[in-house]
Order: sequence, then structure tokens, then C-alpha cells
Amino acid sequence: MTYLLRVLLTLALLTGTAVFAQGEPPAVDTTLVDTTTVAPPAPVTGLTGKDRDNDHGHAIELTWTPSVDDLENPSGARSVLRYRIMMWKPTEAYRVDTLRQMYDMVRSNYAPIRVYKPLVDSALILIDQGMVDVSALPFEVLLPEGINRTDAPAEMMKYVRKALQDTLAAMTAQVDISKDSVKVFRSNFLAAVESLPEAFNANGPSSGHGAWDSVGAEVPGATFFRHAGSKEEVSPDFLPDYADLYYRVDAATSDPAVYTASDVCGPVQASGQWYNSGRTVVLISVIIFTILTVVFVQQARRGKELYVRPLAGIEAVDDAIGRATEMGKPILYVLGLGAASDIATIASFTILSRVAKRVAEYQTQLIVPTYDPIVMTVAQEVVKSSYLDAGRPDDYNEDIVYFVTQSQFAYVAAVNGVMLRQLPATNVYMGKFYAESLILAETGALAGSIQIAGTDEIAQIPFFVVACDYTLIGEELYAASAYLGGEPVLLGSLKAQDYAKALFVVCAVAGFLTLILADATGAHWLAQFKQWFMVAD
Amino acid sequence: MKKTSVIILSGVVILFLVSWLVKGASLSGEENPYLQGFLTTFAAFLTLAVFSFLYRDNPFYKFAEHLFVGASAAYWMTLGFWQTLVKKLIPKLSDGLANFFEVPTEEHSYWYFLPVILGLLLLMRLSKKGGWLSRWPLAFIVGYTAGINFVGYLRSDFVKQVSSTFVPLLIDWQGVGHFFSNFSLAIDGQFVMMLANVVIFVGVLCGLVYFFFSKEHTGLFGTASRVGIWILMITFGASFGYTVMGRISLLVGRLTFLFKDWLGLIS
Amino acid sequence: MMFDSPMLLLLTAGSGATVGTYIGLAIIVLGLLALLYTSIKAIEVDRRIVFLFIFVAVSIPILFPITFEEKATPVVKRIFDKIESLPEGSRILLSFDFDPAMAPEVQPMADAVMRHALAKNHRVIFMSLWATGQGLLDRTMQRILPNEFPDKVDGVDFASVGYTAGNEGVLNVIVSDFKKMFPSDANSIPLDSLPVFNRFSSCKDLDLVVTFGGGKPGAKEWVLFVGDKANVPVAVGVAAVVAPQMYPYFPNQVLGIMGGIKGAAEYESELIKHYPQFAEQPTPGMVMMGPQTLAHIVIIAFIVFGNVAYFFGRRREEKP
Repeated sequence: MTYLLRVLLTLALLTGTAVFAQGEPPAVDTTLVDTTTVAPPAPVTGLTGKDRDNDHGHAIELTWTPSVDDLENPSGARSVLRYRIMMWKPTEAYRVDTLRQMYDMVRSNYAPIRVYKPLVDSALILIDQGMVDVSALPFEVLLPEGINRTDAPAEMMKYVRKALQDTLAAMTAQVDISKDSVKVFRSNFLAAVESLPEAFNANGPSSGHGAWDSVGAEVPGATFFRHAGSKEEVSPDFLPDYADLYYRVDAATSDPAVYTASDVCGPVQASGQWYNSGRTVVLISVIIFTILTVVFVQQARRGKELYVRPLAGIEAVDDAIGRATEMGKPILYVLGLGAASDIATIASFTILSRVAKRVAEYQTQLIVPTYDPIVMTVAQEVVKSSYLDAGRPDDYNEDIVYFVTQSQFAYVAAVNGVMLRQLPATNVYMGKFYAESLILAETGALAGSIQIAGTDEIAQIPFFVVACDYTLIGEELYAASAYLGGEPVLLGSLKAQDYAKALFVVCAVAGFLTLILADATGAHWLAQFKQWFMVAD
Repeated sequence: MKKTSVIILSGVVILFLVSWLVKGASLSGEENPYLQGFLTTFAAFLTLAVFSFLYRDNPFYKFAEHLFVGASAAYWMTLGFWQTLVKKLIPKLSDGLANFFEVPTEEHSYWYFLPVILGLLLLMRLSKKGGWLSRWPLAFIVGYTAGINFVGYLRSDFVKQVSSTFVPLLIDWQGVGHFFSNFSLAIDGQFVMMLANVVIFVGVLCGLVYFFFSKEHTGLFGTASRVGIWILMITFGASFGYTVMGRISLLVGRLTFLFKDWLGLIS
Repeated sequence: MMFDSPMLLLLTAGSGATVGTYIGLAIIVLGLLALLYTSIKAIEVDRRIVFLFIFVAVSIPILFPITFEEKATPVVKRIFDKIESLPEGSRILLSFDFDPAMAPEVQPMADAVMRHALAKNHRVIFMSLWATGQGLLDRTMQRILPNEFPDKVDGVDFASVGYTAGNEGVLNVIVSDFKKMFPSDANSIPLDSLPVFNRFSSCKDLDLVVTFGGGKPGAKEWVLFVGDKANVPVAVGVAAVVAPQMYPYFPNQVLGIMGGIKGAAEYESELIKHYPQFAEQPTPGMVMMGPQTLAHIVIIAFIVFGNVAYFFGRRREEKP
């Protein structure tokens, strides 16, 4: 896009807003009734208004009983085609509207000038210094027919200079636009907004200082309208909080002049609430889950035995190590591509610790190629301490855990090479895996190794399932690590999650049963149970 | 270098040059035809180089891979600089710098020095002595993410999912006779909808039972857990099928490029 | 040529097909038969043969296009119906959360939805949570807008706010204050001066969000941080790999799902059905379903052969 075009667009907008800002005078309703066409309908009755619950304020809800002559009511005259919702606006509110429009205009004119004026200024300086190369300007210049870029550069520069000066003049001619004038307009406007609630409170419909303003319309048969204003002062729909508002609903007919106004309802005030009761269920869930986690972590810390069922994949690890020992072949342990801070990698460290300990006991060979330098450092510590635990610190050597590369597929290629050359008896993949999962697992399967995998990357689980002998699916990886490591935080949160799942099952069954019972017995209050789990905005 | 390698390499170079010249000549109506021709040929060469991995690992594949890794690392770094530092941070701190980088100035906010400090602390990771300082911004990131996700996940993945599991077993039920006389296997028919609801309900329940670690999977519990793993496997199968579709789409995309943009076989 | 169903493909290929299709199909069928023979004879098949088959099966329908009639499934049709039923001038946000690697799958959906929303005279806001998405977004706009919607005005009928850094953090802010994250549009024009953003302060003022992507941040983040939080309907167009992960949110938290190229093809067919003026435009989704179908048939054949070979192999082991 060329800057010049943008400048032109800005000019167009500028003229547009100026025309718009002429403003319309507040419309005052006249109850002219032309009885020759349609008879005035019966009015809306029972109009009530109240603040909308659980919101940030600035909204009023109206309910009413439709007119007897509503189109939807077969027994009436059916002449009411829509309901017009009117709100009383004191004179001061109209003044605020005008101030807002002026501020809007100044602000939206200033914004592009702020961006483009420095550009135009610097271009003028360059031209005055004798620059003749049009392509060196910080924007593209559209030349009119007949003027050639290369023929007469000096001549062309004259044209460009004049165009820029004209643009600059046009930009600033309409209003005095500077940073300061924006500030002045803003403070005038905000001061007027501040006094708005007072103006509303002092000038009700009975005072006569103001006029009815349409804020919306509803279809025949409607009994409800939400006047949702904006909380932004600069928005034309701004609706002040804590201001006395008065509403009226007009039953309108096909003839714009024929309508009947309802009784005025009010004053009502809009206000915001600190607590959104529609989200209570989320709060309760947060509290329950937090309590569960804290309680179980504490229990685990105090040394209480928390039962975790044995997992097939983990038991297979022990068997596989035994098999490797018998065959005299190594065990390959892959920690995945995760960083050391990923939960899956942390879980994998725990499992590695167990595997390394067994390997040390059986005096088998272990290979741990890593992708991340930090993961490598941690893994080295883990394996070292496992060898120590097994009472064989002398068997540990630094080359068990080594760094390969931080390029995904290069890493895979290297690991695949290890699989095909050293033919490990067992491959263990635990941690975060991405697109490389199938390439790894497939190569391992081709090499005839027993393979055990575990990851929380849902998209990769299917690949491990098809190509490996055992797969720890998602959470099972964390469970395995909690089971093996006995780390209180892991164990506690695993338990908390179990209870949350139980809670989920209980709620789901209860909800399911209530729906069936509500259907079977016709007791529809039962179906209300579902409402408890609905989260409002 | 072996003799075959030399032959293959020179063959590829000749093909590349021929393709470049032919492509350039065919684009003669456009701006910079030979540059366009080179770019298209180079893109085609890289595509084929990556495809060659299917035959076996080779230097062409390695070249393409390294080029990709290097280019994307540089791309992300430049992007981080312009999009985050220049666009988000500099206008909030200094008008002079904003003008230097030609970005619109904004109202200053000195709160933005806080992320600057945290960002610098994050870089302390590079130093051996002050490395521990990088844990502070990390703690901030972890804490912030956990807080936001905790409520979000609990609302969307727990509370809302609970209510989504409340599905009616009977839909539009008007007696057994009506059910059989209007029996259809249409996707929006009564039978299929009811079956879907049963599958959802049983699937969620049994799936959860499978992931319940506090009780041994025996008896009725064990049966439910086995149903759960079956349902998981069916899900994985569906997932696999979708993945195949996705990968084939990508292949179609590449082949379309080769046939259309490079070779001009299709219009 | 046009087929009613994939199964008819093989049957009718001989009669109404072009010579190319005919020869291609013959190669595939003969190859598969040979493969069946080798599998039963328990001769090891080089995996590269499999790649070759897929290559042929995908190439032939690209070179000699085959299209199928698509019928929108309810998950896709709900998105179409929603855009169709919204009153003119509704605000729809399209988020391009994908990169060139995902583009073959996701771009066709983005094109179709964009055409639909603009043809229905909605006000469309474009954005991207992915840095790489902005380039794709710009190219999409340049490709479609001037040619097909020359009377639409930037800033009035549509606007692009482009990319901003911050991943899901961006969503967390725009759900309550859009202009805080995007003070100006992609051309650096302040949003306040654009009519598209009149009376617009946050995502709550949107009538629909459609996100195209398949990574993170993407569909799930839109549901978690915008859809569920602000009660805005969110529809997703995702790469096939993540489509299964979106189904748990359907239909309460996600309006509809376009999964992979099939979803795109369904949307395109629905669009052409209601707006014949787009029949002239390319429908990459429907075109890609040809290679897709043939490749799937070949893969299914492989699975069957693999199992046949497995059972024969087992019998052979039991016999001696």
C-alpha cells in the first residue's frame, strides 16, 4: 500500500467525520395520532425494569406484558407490529453526545497525522536539500499521466513537493489538531461524563428537561428487552451506572404516527457486581480440587501409603531388562524432545531412575541419547545416583547419557542409527514426542526390540500403540512416575485427580439419571440439575 | 568423493540449471522471469530433496534439512525482535527509538520496564554465576500460565464437559411401536442419535474408569476399564485415520506444486 | 468427470474416464494384485514399494482430476448455517492460526468461509495468532478480495489487524478489550477510525469466531479463553491431525468442526450449492478429495493384504 493513498483515505475520512459531526438535533416525540388509517393500539402494561445481575454494570433488563392488540394475539386488533423501547435522556446527556462526537473527530484526525506528519516533514526537508531521486523517499509516489520518472527529475520533484505541501495543509486545515487540543477535548468530555449521573437523577421525565430517545426495538410477542449499554465513555452507547433511568415501551403500528406509549417505569439504576453468581460452579470446582490436592500432597509428605495400582507397562520394563540381560544386549532409553521442565520429561526422569537402577543391578548396558543439553545434565545425575543406589558406582560412566543434537530429525536419525547398529533388546520411549514418534517406534520394531512407550502428547499415542508392545497412555505416564518415584507432589496430585474423576463420574451419572427420570415421570424439576453445571458469562 | 557421487551431483546440477533456464524462459512475460524461475526451481529441488529421504538418507536431504533449520531459526529470531521488542515494547518506552524504528509512538508506560528486567534476568541463564537469577522470570511465567490455565481448563474441560455428558437416553420418544415403524439409520435419525448419546455416556464413564489409579481393575471395575481401553483404541484408530488424511493432503499440496508451478503439467 | 461415490470410482473408470485415469487405475490395480500375490507367498515387500504406490495413487488424480459429490455432514453444516442465518452486517472474526506447512489442509477452509462471510455482507475481521499466519492472511486477502469482491472497502466491510505476539495471552486480553492488543489495523490505521470497529470493544461483541489452524495456540485456546469465557460461538477449521481432539467440545462448546481436507470439501460444496457464483472459483478442497480417495483405497488394500499375509503366514507356521 502506498502511503500517499493512505493519506488520501485519511482525508476522505476527515471530511466524512466532519459532515457527520454536524449532529442531529434531539428528536422530541409528538403524539400526533392519525385515526384515519389505524386505530391507536392498547398500550403495553406491567412494564418493570431492573439492573442486570452478574455483570459489570451498564445494563438494564425490561419486562412487560404485550399489548392486547399484539400481532401475535389472535383475539385483539393485531395492529401492533413492533415495540419501540424508549429511554428518557436529559438535555445534559445530549450535550455529552455532542462533546463525544467532537472529541471523536479530533482524536481520529489526530491519529493518522501523528503517524504521517513526521514522514511528510522529513520528505520535504530531503527535497529542499536537493534530493532528486523519487525512489529514495520513504513512500511510493503515484505520478500523474504525462510526468515521467526519469525524464526530468527536478521537474518531477517540484510536483511531489507541491503535492506533499497540499496534503499537509489539507490535513491540518479543518481543525486545529495538535496533541494538546486532543487533551483539551478529552478533559472537557470526561468532565461532562462525570456529571452525567447527577443530570439523570435531577431531570426525570416529569421535569421536562430532556427528550425520549429510542434505544432499541422488539418484535411482536416479545416481553423482554435488555438495554446493554457500553462501559466505555467514548462509546455512543455509554450508559452511566448509578443514574436514575426511566423507560417506556411504545406499541407501534404500520403507521409511524400511530402508536401508544406505556406508563413510564423507573427510576432504575444500573450497577456492576463484584461476584458473578453464574460462575459459582467454577469457584466450587476450583476450591474442591485445590483442597483435594493440598490434602493428598500433605498426606503423602507425612508418609501415608497412597495406593496406586500397578501398571502393565511398568511391570513390562522389569521383564524387558531381564530379557536384555539374558540376551547380553543393551537397553535404549529415549527421553523425548521435551525440555527438562515439562511434566512428561520429569516423569520420565523418575522412570529412568528405576530403569538405571535395575540395569546397574543386572550389569546390563544402558544407552541414553538426549536432545536437550539440560535434560542431558539432569539425566546424567539421575543415572549416576541410581548406580550409586544399586551399590555399583564403579560401573557408571559418563558416556551412558550423551547429547546428540537439538534438531528434531537429525536426532531421530542418530537414534535410529543406534537402534540398527547396536540392536538393543529393549527400547523405552518416555516423555514428550512429536512427529518423530512413529519413525522411532517403527525402526525399533524393524530391529526386533521389545518396545515400551509413554507420552502425554495425545496425537502421538496412536503411533506408539501400533508400533510398541506396551504404551503408557497419557496420564498413565504420570501415574507410573508417581508409582515408581513416590514423590509426594506427584503422588498427591495423582490422587487428587482420581477423586476429581470420581466426582465427574458421580455428577455425570446423576445428571444422566435425572434426565431419564425427568423424561419418564414428567417431573421436569429434575432436569434442573443440569442447570447447576451451566456457566454464565 | 566417490565417482558415483560426482556423477549424481553433476546430474542434479545440470538438471537444476536446465530447469532454471526453461522455467525462466517460460515466464518471460512477468517481472524478473529468471529470478522467479530460480525460486520455483529451488523450491522444487528442496521438495524433491526432502522426498529423497524416502529412498534413503542422503546429502541432498541433509542439505534441505539444515537449510530449513537455519532459515527458520533466523526467521523466528527476527520476528521476535520486530514483533515483540520493536512493536510492543519500544513505543511504550521511548519516542526516539520508536521514530528510529519507524513505528508509531504510543503513550509511555513505565510498567513496561518490568518485563524488560524480567527478560534480562531470563538471559542470565547464559552466565554460570548468575544462572539462578533466571529462575525468577521462569517462576513468573509458570505461575501466570498455571493460574490462567487452571480456571480455563476447569471451566471448559471439567464443568462444561460434565454438563455435556448429561445426554438424554431417549430422544423424541413416542413409544416402542413408533420407534420401530420409523426406524432409520440416517445420521440425524432417532436411532443413531440415541445410540450416539449412549456411546458418549458409556465412553466417558469407562474411559475415566481406565484412568482411575486408586483401585485395582478387577470385577465390574475391571470390565468397565476394559471397555474403556477399547473405546480409547477406537478413538486412536479414528485419530490415525484423520492423520493419514492430513498427511496425504500435505503430499497432494507438494505434488500439486511440482506438477503445476514447476512442471506446468496442469493448469 | 464426476462420481457419486468412491466405490463407483473403480467400476466406472473404464467407461467414462479419460485415457490417463484409465491407464493410471490399471497400473494401480495390477500393482496391487502383484502385491497381493507376493504377500500370500510371504515374500518380503520393500517399504519403498509402498511409498511408490502412494505416490502413483496421489499423482494420477492430480494430473487427471476426479471429483466426487460432497454432502455436508452436520458438524460442518452447522457452521455454514450459522453464517447463513446471521443478519447482514454481523461481525465475524476469522483467525488464521496456521503456517505454510498446514496450509494445504487449512487454506481451502479459510478461503471458503471468507467468501461466504463476505458474500453474505457480514463485517469480517481478520487476525492471526501465528506470525507465519499473517503472510498467509495477506496473500489470501490479495488473492480473493480485489478479484471477487471489488466493491468491498477496507475498514468498512472488512479489516485485518494482522498478527500480534503473545500467543494465548492475546486471547486473554481481547476477550475483554480488543483495542488494547490491537490499537491499529495491519495498515497502522487506528481501529477507532475504522467503521468496522464502531461500537466494538471486545470479543463479546462478535457474532461468530472462526479459527483456522491445528497447532497451539489455536482452536482449543479459542474455545477455552474466548468461546467459553465470553459465550461467543466458536467454529473451528482444523488440520486433520487435531480434529479428533476437538470433538469432545462439539456441539456445546464448539459450533462446528471442519476437520482436514474433507471438512473443507464439504464446506466448499455447500457454498457452491447456495452461491453458484463461486462455482467458477477454484475448490482445492474438492479437488484434493480425488487423490485423497484413491490413496485411501490403496491404503485400505495394504491393510487387507497385510492381514491376509499375516493369516497365511500363521497357517504356514502351524502346518509343518
